[in-house]
Amino acid sequence: MKAICKSFWQMLSFVKRDMMLFAACAAPVLAGIIIRLGVPLLEDKLAKWLELPRILTPFYGLFDLFYAMIAPTMFCFVTAMVMLEEHDDRIDEYLIVTGLGKSGYLASRVFLPAAIAFVVTLVLLPLFHLTELTVLETLFLSLTGTLQGSIIELLIVTLSSNKLEGMAITKMATMMILGAFLPYFMSHPIQYVASILPSFWAAKAIYEQNVLFMLPAVGTAGVWIGCLLMIHATHPHQK
Amino acid sequence: MIQVNDLYFSYTTKPFIEAMNFTVEKGEIFGFLGPSGAGKSTLQKILLGMLPGYRGSAIVNGTECRHRTNRFYENIGVDFEFSTMYEKLSARENLQFFSSLYEKSGRPIEELLEMVGLQNDADKRVADFSKGMKSRLNFIKALLHDPALLFLDEPTSGLDPANNRMMKDLILEEKKREKTILLTTHNMQDATELCDRVAFIANGKIYALDSPHNLIMSKGATRVTYTWMDHGEHTASCPIDRLSGDEVLQKLIAQNRLKSIHSSEPTLNDIFMEITGRTLL
Repeated sequence: MKAICKSFWQMLSFVKRDMMLFAACAAPVLAGIIIRLGVPLLEDKLAKWLELPRILTPFYGLFDLFYAMIAPTMFCFVTAMVMLEEHDDRIDEYLIVTGLGKSGYLASRVFLPAAIAFVVTLVLLPLFHLTELTVLETLFLSLTGTLQGSIIELLIVTLSSNKLEGMAITKMATMMILGAFLPYFMSHPIQYVASILPSFWAAKAIYEQNVLFMLPAVGTAGVWIGCLLMIHATHPHQK
Repeated sequence: MIQVNDLYFSYTTKPFIEAMNFTVEKGEIFGFLGPSGAGKSTLQKILLGMLPGYRGSAIVNGTECRHRTNRFYENIGVDFEFSTMYEKLSARENLQFFSSLYEKSGRPIEELLEMVGLQNDADKRVADFSKGMKSRLNFIKALLHDPALLFLDEPTSGLDPANNRMMKDLILEEKKREKTILLTTHNMQDATELCDRVAFIANGKIYALDSPHNLIMSKGATRVTYTWMDHGEHTASCPIDRLSGDEVLQKLIAQNRLKSIHSSEPTLNDIFMEITGRTLL
């Protein structure tokens, strides 16, 4: 455990020295302020301009859901970039033959940051939410958001062999969160094409006000994470 | 310290490591000598527990490599051929971090830096280090937790003569401290100078295993080459144990007509070629 904590602190010290990554860590707070203050203001202006009672309000739940995914995804993106830089410098190969080991490395770069991202989202979501969220909903949204962030991180580190490729894969991987649009904008049977995406089920839970949909959200996320960890373990660069 | 029995490994359906058997005793410098792609690095990765999908047995420090836990690495130091440092951090910061990953307290960082002459560069960013400095830093990184077993992968590769000499002296110094050292190299001079025993590896197999001296002596006798002038320069050679039967040489000695004479032993590279049919480079 000592080695995992030291390795995690090392990552934080690395992030502190990299302005881009440091800024990415602050992005969830900035995004929260924009959503909390900007979206209701925009709704007010739009409603007056178009002379309609509500335009964005029906989608406030979607904004909350996106925020619950954006916050942990930013943290997981940062750790993915650190992992890719360590891979570029071949430090990851060395770390797994130290007292840290491969499991400790994954714990310090995937699981511990995810746990912290979960706690941070739990704190930020009640501050910047647009709809009324129960404690259970806040917990589930933070959990599915964190799992979604971990999937994106694992997709980045598994599919890219360097930092440059990682930036490109990040764009592709973050499209996974677009599954959240479908329950809001697609008719009932067609929307299930996105049923392999955890974001789809999380959005369904919010849209249909049924917390039971969080179970397939967590389940599909678990399958994604399990598969990606298996692929990562047999990734060619680890040979 | 290390016992390998009937070791097989493959990345594909074709065997990459085949029927390997060897042991390495405590305090020994054991060299894996072979050309690129021979299987040296793969063998090293198996012994480091990085490739658990092998057949047969590979026991390091009493642990079967495929069953290793993180504690396995408490007694193993690794110096890869390439630098594995955080380039943006200083040498001292790198060493402090890597040292903190072990439960053992290990050797003092200042002492190690001084040992390789980097005490005045300890606070410099690794990115600003020369290749030789990085190699020395990489080497002492492997010693931080004072492991009993060292894996050194091409430790002198790409170094200038001064740094090459320094690195070899550092390795011999660790041998004096009773460390067991596994050296992977394709440099026959390093192997001859450093290793107690070497294994010739080619095509994933061990072709020969003995001390460099025994390998040289068993496969090729020293030869004597001499030259003389007789309407131009002539050269001839003869095995050292048949000199008395070389009539030309006897005659030239009797007539004081020899222009030069010298003996030469085959190198480990020559022996490697003779045994495996391949060159080391």
